[in-house]
Amino acid sequence: MTPVADFEGMVREHQSMVFSIAYHFLHDRPAAEELAQDVFLQLFKSMGALESAEHVTRWLRRVTTNRCIDHCRRSRLMPRIGLDQVPEPSIPGGAPDLMLSRALGQLVASLPANWRALVILKYQEEMETEEIARALDMPAGTVKSQLSRALDFLREKASRVLGETV
Amino acid sequence: MSQMDDALREALRREAAPEGFAERVMAKVGREERQATKSDDLSHWLLAAFRRPQLRWATALAGVALAIGTMEYRNEAEKRAEGERAKDQVMLALRITGGKLRLTQAAVRRIQYAPREQ
Repeated sequence: MTPVADFEGMVREHQSMVFSIAYHFLHDRPAAEELAQDVFLQLFKSMGALESAEHVTRWLRRVTTNRCIDHCRRSRLMPRIGLDQVPEPSIPGGAPDLMLSRALGQLVASLPANWRALVILKYQEEMETEEIARALDMPAGTVKSQLSRALDFLREKASRVLGETV
Repeated sequence: MSQMDDALREALRREAAPEGFAERVMAKVGREERQATKSDDLSHWLLAAFRRPQLRWATALAGVALAIGTMEYRNEAEKRAEGERAKDQVMLALRITGGKLRLTQAAVRRIQYAPREQ
């Protein structure tokens, strides 16, 4: 297989992961797609330095998250989504429904960039504290405490906006 | 696992990438490679010309002009991007203001047409 065909296979394998991290971060599909494309372009240039499939996955998660944080800082994108824009859930209580998911997604997108990164890596990518710490080059204790603060903050916001649903 | 954990997992599950995403990435990679080849060709040509004594001064001048031109172009592109960002912010502010205005109008209408107490 040629390196380009190999690379195309990698894009197809990881496109959902990279796009989703960017989308949950930015809550803007065109911006998320542009950022995800740039991540893959950077991957193409760095292919020689990556040793295994696991290394590629770790690299993609780290680079995508860091680019999202940079994007937010550069464009001062801080909360583009205000609490008043979060819709009410359609069904109070019970199984998570579509409106509740959307509302929670928007609440996550309104978090400060560092907290957002931790929440997305934990719940979208199902990563453990140590994995997140390695990916973001942070001490595990800091990840744990910031994640806990982010979740408290989310819980408080969610109970205000969504009532007793979560 | 708490209900919050489940709800977050559901809210943050992976989304499918947009249709044609991989093709657009491959096209971008192709463009980037062609660009890199072009600039390699140009630098080889400039180097070859610089080695010929009768063309040395002309090549040096062309190189300086090219560097200045590139810098100007980049500055211009940055200014354009800044303008676009400012425009987006104004549009966002206008949308928010519009939304608030509509809410206020609706509230005023409600008060206006509400049955008055005797």
